[in-house]
Amino acid sequence: MSATDYLDLIIKSLLLAGIYAAMAVGMTVIYGVMKIVNLAHAGFLMLGAYFAYELFDRFHLDPILGAVLALPAFFLFGMLVHWLLVRWLPKSDSPTLSSLLLMFGFWLVLQNAGYKFWGNEDYSILTPRTLSSVQLGEISIPTVSLIVFAAAVISLIVLQIVFNRSWFGRSMRSLIQNPYAAKIVGVDDEKTARLTFGLGTAFAGFAGGLLAMLYSFNPDFGRPFLLRSFVIIVLGGLESVSGVAIGALVLAFVETFSVQIMPASYQPAIAFALLVVVLVLMPKGIAGLLQRKLKVT
Amino acid sequence: MSSSSVRILVVLTVLISMFGVSAAVAQDSIVVGVVMPTTGREAKPGLYQKEGIELAIKQINDKGGIFVKEKNKKLPVKEVFYDDGSDSAKSASLAERVMSSDKATAVIGGYSTALGEAESVMPDRYKIPWITPGAAATSIFKRGYKYTFGALSPILLLGQTTAEFLGSQVDQGKLKKGLKIALVVENTDHGTDYVKGIEDWIQQHPGYFTVVLNEKFDLGGTDFSGLLQKVKTSKADIFLSDAHLQDYITMQRQYLQAGLKHQVISYGARGPESDARKALGAGTDYILAALWWSDKLPYPQEQKFVSDYKAAYNRPPDSWYAATAYDAMRILAQAVEAAGSTDGSKIRDALAKAELKGSLIPGQVLKFGSNGQADYPFLVTQNKPGDKVDIVYPKDAATGPAIVPKP
Repeated sequence: MSATDYLDLIIKSLLLAGIYAAMAVGMTVIYGVMKIVNLAHAGFLMLGAYFAYELFDRFHLDPILGAVLALPAFFLFGMLVHWLLVRWLPKSDSPTLSSLLLMFGFWLVLQNAGYKFWGNEDYSILTPRTLSSVQLGEISIPTVSLIVFAAAVISLIVLQIVFNRSWFGRSMRSLIQNPYAAKIVGVDDEKTARLTFGLGTAFAGFAGGLLAMLYSFNPDFGRPFLLRSFVIIVLGGLESVSGVAIGALVLAFVETFSVQIMPASYQPAIAFALLVVVLVLMPKGIAGLLQRKLKVT
Repeated sequence: MSSSSVRILVVLTVLISMFGVSAAVAQDSIVVGVVMPTTGREAKPGLYQKEGIELAIKQINDKGGIFVKEKNKKLPVKEVFYDDGSDSAKSASLAERVMSSDKATAVIGGYSTALGEAESVMPDRYKIPWITPGAAATSIFKRGYKYTFGALSPILLLGQTTAEFLGSQVDQGKLKKGLKIALVVENTDHGTDYVKGIEDWIQQHPGYFTVVLNEKFDLGGTDFSGLLQKVKTSKADIFLSDAHLQDYITMQRQYLQAGLKHQVISYGARGPESDARKALGAGTDYILAALWWSDKLPYPQEQKFVSDYKAAYNRPPDSWYAATAYDAMRILAQAVEAAGSTDGSKIRDALAKAELKGSLIPGQVLKFGSNGQADYPFLVTQNKPGDKVDIVYPKDAATGPAIVPKP
């Protein structure tokens, strides 16, 4: 392979990391504060895709704008889901079976609701951008992937700012670090959890809207992304926004480059292998490992 | 009477009434089990196949059903449908359920090789004939099963026909001799057979083509960028893939975004589907596909089928899926009538000898080989601008010229 081919692969890996980060960030936020492995994340991604599609189809709204509008809509939807279902779950420092079952069940409900409303048709959003690309010498960079990458980077930056600079962010971080101490100093854990679930759902809906520009979708949409989202947040350390970026980068680079040296049919196994390796060797993820190294130095 | 005696009585009453009902069903109708995916990855083709079967059932029932000699009357066909959700394990268990619990006379099921392979182990176990209108990998028919039938010609032939078509383009001077082929196929027996078909033809016709890349990918992939980079670096002239509908759409989208260009592109038996056209627009133009059926075939029954299908579902058949399923149900009905019985073994024997004349497939006769699989020629079609699709091979069935190399 030539140097251009390697550069092409690096760019493709970065763009893929953008897609992965966009789809995983909502799941991370919810896990970090509430210790809920949100299996309904795939359902929220699917609904986000249909949300952008309906706005595009009925009102000819650009899917990027559709994805942005998904943020407030899904924020409210997430808070409603929390109020209706999630708040009844027993509080715990670690993921509970009941939360897993609830979110899995809710995913199935969303999926079947999707089949009821939209049928099993494959939907697509075709715009002049869909097949266009930016030419960089011999390298073609898909315009849509660039947009998704930019959106993912902006999402991560905004979330990081919210985490570090706002009262709500401080409440979230305090609950992540020590929920009991946080409550003692007056953090309203119920309200923070509700807002957090809303925020996580908002980012899932946003990601779904973005992914709808890249893929065809049906009510089963989101399933292949679920495992990768989980791998990314485990890689990133389960509860940090910067960890999501690291996790997405590692997974995207490993997947893209490994295909060059091994059969492409092994690609899905790579995510599983990474998950096992990280859980065994780095239970706090790559971000945790880096933090420990920094503390030592 | 004690409470336990009451409970036993209730259970017995329910059981007796259940058996009574199924016995009544068994006597008054021919139960055909249909196990297809109408949700999940294969939902769309699975739905089309279900529609094809149901159209045939409706037409049979409109004529009063199938005459069964041992009953001395016509019996209507009753469909028992299960959606396997594109899940192999579920597909196998539902095929078993329809054979054992629903007492199906015969079963039609298994769209796609993976689901068909899962279901194919059940028919011999229950001595119930099973026809797949959507799975064509040779591995299903190599195992010596007696009750397993396939309405699709082998994938091996699909690969050979594709290579043969490309060879004909070399002979016509449209393609140069010695072009390089990149093969990128799904990691299933379907993909393996396709590659073998291509490679067999190349071996038998030295000098025409060389395979420079032979890669497999997993079904339902979301990112093919690394794989397409391999295709790019292989410097191939021809890109041949064997993919299912969703993978075809995803891969072709990423292929176009990556700025790849080849003289010929094909995704095996996928190409003219309306979902791909909707998703990619002109991005699917000039794609070649080797198919089991096309509505462009010049037989009168094709137009009748297309108009009946349109009347039933308010849209034309999308690619070949509904046609082979329609014929699978029709040949089953013919076999039941020939057997004169609803007994699985007798229907199996009749199916082995059956010849469906006036079939929709190329050649107009559907029959099964000694291994249970049909064997008829493929058509090569090409998508053309303006949502047009032409049969471009074989020459005597062509409705338009092949545009090769791709502009």
